[in-house]
Amino acid sequence: MNQPKTNVTSNSATCPACGLLCDDILIDNNNNKIKVLKNGCAKSVTFFEQNLNGLTPKIAGKSVTLQEAISKTAQILSKAKKPLFAGLGTDIQGFRAIYNHAQKTNGILQHMNAQSMARNMRVLQSAGWQTTTLAEVKNRADVIVCIGTDIVLHNPRFFERFIQQDGMFIDAKQREIIFIGENIKKSDALENSSLLPCRAADLPEITLTLRALVAGKELKAKNLAGMNIGDLQTVADKLKQAKYAVLAWVAKDLDFTHAELTIQNITETVMLLNQTTRAAGLPLGGSDGDTSANNANTWLSGWALNSVEESYDAIVWVNSFSPERLPKNSDNPLIVLGNSNVKFKTEPDVFIPIATPGLDCSGMLFRVDSSVILPLKKVRENNLSTLSGIVSAIEKLI
Amino acid sequence: MITLLKNGKIYDPAHNLDGVVQDIYIRDGRIVNKPNQTEKINQVYDLTGKIVLAGAIDMHSHIGGGKVNIARMMLPEFQETKTYSEPEAHICTPNCSHNATPSTTDTGFRYIEMGYTAAFEPAMMPINARQTHLEMGDTPMIDKGGYAMLGNDDYFLRLLSSKADQKIINDYVAWILAATQAIGIKVVNPGGINAFKFNQRRLNLDENNIHYQVTPREILKSLSRAVNELGIAKPLHVHCNNLGAAGNFQTTLDTMQASDGMPMHLTHIQFHSYSTEGDKKFSSAAAQIAEALNNNKHITADVGQILFGQTVTVSGDSMMQHLNAKHANPKKSVIMDIECDAGCGVVPFKYRDQNYVNALQWAIGLELFLSVDDPWRIFLTTDHPNGAPFTSYPHLIRLLMDKGFRNEAFAKLNLDAQAMSNLTSLTREYSLYEIAIMTRAGAAKLIGLNDRGHLGVGAGADITVYTDQPDREAMFAKPDFVFKDGELVVKEGKVVKVVWGATHTTKPIFDISVEKYLSNYFDKYHTIQLDNFKIVDDEITGDGRGKVITHTKTS
Repeated sequence: MNQPKTNVTSNSATCPACGLLCDDILIDNNNNKIKVLKNGCAKSVTFFEQNLNGLTPKIAGKSVTLQEAISKTAQILSKAKKPLFAGLGTDIQGFRAIYNHAQKTNGILQHMNAQSMARNMRVLQSAGWQTTTLAEVKNRADVIVCIGTDIVLHNPRFFERFIQQDGMFIDAKQREIIFIGENIKKSDALENSSLLPCRAADLPEITLTLRALVAGKELKAKNLAGMNIGDLQTVADKLKQAKYAVLAWVAKDLDFTHAELTIQNITETVMLLNQTTRAAGLPLGGSDGDTSANNANTWLSGWALNSVEESYDAIVWVNSFSPERLPKNSDNPLIVLGNSNVKFKTEPDVFIPIATPGLDCSGMLFRVDSSVILPLKKVRENNLSTLSGIVSAIEKLI
Repeated sequence: MITLLKNGKIYDPAHNLDGVVQDIYIRDGRIVNKPNQTEKINQVYDLTGKIVLAGAIDMHSHIGGGKVNIARMMLPEFQETKTYSEPEAHICTPNCSHNATPSTTDTGFRYIEMGYTAAFEPAMMPINARQTHLEMGDTPMIDKGGYAMLGNDDYFLRLLSSKADQKIINDYVAWILAATQAIGIKVVNPGGINAFKFNQRRLNLDENNIHYQVTPREILKSLSRAVNELGIAKPLHVHCNNLGAAGNFQTTLDTMQASDGMPMHLTHIQFHSYSTEGDKKFSSAAAQIAEALNNNKHITADVGQILFGQTVTVSGDSMMQHLNAKHANPKKSVIMDIECDAGCGVVPFKYRDQNYVNALQWAIGLELFLSVDDPWRIFLTTDHPNGAPFTSYPHLIRLLMDKGFRNEAFAKLNLDAQAMSNLTSLTREYSLYEIAIMTRAGAAKLIGLNDRGHLGVGAGADITVYTDQPDREAMFAKPDFVFKDGELVVKEGKVVKVVWGATHTTKPIFDISVEKYLSNYFDKYHTIQLDNFKIVDDEITGDGRGKVITHTKTS
C-alpha cells in the first residue's frame, strides 16, 4: 500500500455529489484528509470529507486479497446466464467498462435512479421538449418557476451560483422566482421569491391548469386544490411577459404515479410560451452519475438507458460515489463494487472497494443539463483500483 | 512488412490517374516507392481487374455530440428498424442497420464497410466538444475530426459588436481550435441562433441581431478572415441563414459574396436552394445556385442530398428547427439553448416521394450535383442524418452515375414536383474519376489532409478495392477489400479487424494573453472554469486507442 503523503496542498476540485458539478470548490489535503475551504455545500462537504475505510475486499464479510475477490467475482459471473449490473453510480469511463462487460456477459443494465430518470425519458420520447442549460439561466432568466421542488435539496448551490448572480443580460435583483409545491423551505431565504403552496399530489392538476391559462383558456372555477385560480393566472401572465422564463423541475421530487404527465404539462407550457416569447424547461437534480450513464449508454448502444424489468441470476451493484444506496434484497448472488465506506446489513458474496472518481481517481461526468462534461480530479492518495481496472481484471478470468 | 497491391486499376485524381493499371506498395501503414529487389514482399493481393481508390472521406456527417445523442435518446421507435429484413426505401447497403441514429460502433462499422476511412463531425459546439470527442473516440475503424461552431457565442458577438481588432478575434478563433481539438471552424445561421434567444424568429444576411447590432454578413466576414489569416486549410464552413425556407436561395447567393473573395464552404446547399415559384410557392433554384457556384471559384459546397424514408434532422440551428418542428414525424422535437455558446434542434423527418416538397428537395439536390461543373468544389453528402443516413451513399452514387436509374426514380415522384424540375434534361453521368474527386481527393484537399484522399507515395494507406460492376450501388456498397493505415480491415464488405483511427486537428499559434480576457469572461458569465473548458490531448489518447494528428497548412 502507498504511504499517505504528509504534505498539505490546497487546490480547486470538481464535485460529483450533485448534477451541478461545481468546479470552483477549494479544498485542502492535509495528510490525505480533505477539507473543503471554500464554495462548499452540505453535499460537497460530505463527499470530499468522507473517511477512507474498508480498503480490503471481502468475501461473505471476511477480508481477502484483491485477487481472491476478483477470482470469486469471475466465478459467480461465469456461472450467471443473465447478470444484472445495477446501481451504476460511476463516471463515464466506469460506465463504459461496465457497459462493455455487460455486452460480453449478456447482462442487463439498471441505474439506481432508473425510476426518476424514466419520468423525464417518457416525456422526451413521446413529445420532446424545449430546454436550456445553466449558463443560459444565469445570463438570461428573468422569471424562474420551480415546480414541485425547492431544488436546493438536490442542487444546493443552484440559486447561489446561477440566480443570485448578475448575468450578462439581467441583474440578480431583476429576477423573480416562483415556487409551486409543498415542503418548500427555500422561498423564505430568497429575495424576489414567492410561494404558491399545494400538495404534491395536486401538481398534475395545477400544472395542467397553468398550461391551460398560458394557452389563453378561461376557467370557470375560482379555486383549484386549495389554490386561487387568480394566483395561477398571475403566474401565467408573468410567464408570458417574461423575456426568458425558465420552468424548472426535479424528476425525483415528482414521486407519484404518471409523473411524466405532470412533466409534460410543464414542457408543453414551455412550447406554448415559445410561440410568442422565449421560455425554456430545466430538468434539474442529476446524481449518482445518472446523466452520464444515460448519455454513454445512448451513444454506445444507440438507445437510452431505459428501465427494464427482466429476470436475472446474479447482481453486480456498482456505487462508487456514496456509501448510502444499497441494492434491494435478493436471493441471487450479490457482488458489490462500491465506495469504501459502505456498511452492509447483510454481507454480500463479494465486496470490492473501488476508487471514487473525483476523490481517489480522475474521471469525467455529465452535468445535469447534459451539454457539459467536466473532468474530475484525483485529490487524495490511496491504492484503490478504478472500476474499469477491476472490470478488466475480472474479464481476464472469464 | 511490405504489402503489394498488384495490377489494380487506379483512380487517383490527385495524381491524374484515371483508371491506370499500377502496383501499390505499402510499408508501415504508408504507400511507398517500389522497394529494392532485395527486399522481401510479405503479402501480395492480386487486384487484376479491380478498381482501386483511396479511402473515402465524409467531410460533413453528424457522427457525434450532444444533438446526435439526443436524437438517439428520443427515438426508441428506431429500434424496430434494426429488425427490418428489407430496407424501408431502397437506400441502404446490404449491411445497413437501416438506422438514422446508429451507435458509435455501428457508425464506424457501416462507414468502413462502404470504403469510407474518415468522417468529420461538422457542428461541434465548443462547450460540448468533450462529449463529441468521447463519442468519436468510441467510433471504431475510421479517422475523425470536428469543426468548432462559432459566430453565435456571446463572447465572439461581444468582440464583434465592440469593434474588436481582428487580431483579437483571430487569437480567439485559434484558441478555440486548440481548446476544442478541432480542424475547422463552422458557423450555423450566423447570429441567428443567438438572436433566437432574444426572441428573433428569422435573421437575414443584412439584418441586425437586435441585441448586438451586428449582421450575419459581418460575422461571416470576420470569421472567414480569421480562418484565412490563421492559415487554416479548411475554409470557413457555413450553414447559411434561412435553412429550409422557400425563397432562401437569394440569401445563399448573397452569402457567397460575404467573404470578400476569401475561400468559404457552403454546406448542405440543397437546403438553401429554394425559390417561391409555382402554385405551391416552393420551387427549385438549383440552376441559379449552380451558376453562381460555377462563377465563384472561391466557394465550395456540399449538397446534403435528401433520400426518401425515415430519418431525423439534427442541427445547431435552433431558430429554424423551432420553425420546422411543426413538420416533425414522428411528432416530437427537442430544441435547446446551450451555454451562451449556441443551441440545437432535433426534429425527426420522414421524406416521402409523394410529398411535393420532399420530392422536389430530392430533385433539387440532384440538379445541383449535375449542374455544378467542377467536382473539386462540390462534395457528396446527405448531411447525415438530416437528408438521409450516410448508409445511402452507394444509392446516391448510382443516381449520379446512372442516368437511366435516375430517370426511373424521377418518374415515381409526385407529379407536381416532376413538373417543376428539369432533372431529366440533365443528362450528365458522373465518372468514377469524378466520384473519386468528390469523395476522396477533393474532400482531403478541402480539409487539409495532405496524406489522405490519394494514393501517391507518402500517403497513409487508406485504400478501397471494388469489383467493377455496372450496378454502381452494389459496387460501392460492398468493397472487396478496405485497408486502413495499411492493415486489411474489411474483406467482402465485412469487418475482419477492429482499429480505432485518429483524430485530425489543427492548432495555429496564438497570443496566450487571449486567456486573460477569456478568464475574466468565464469568471463572470460562464458556469465552469476556463481550464475545464480546454480538452488536452490525453483525453483523446489516454485510453491507448485514440491518436491526435495535428495538421499545419502547407503550400
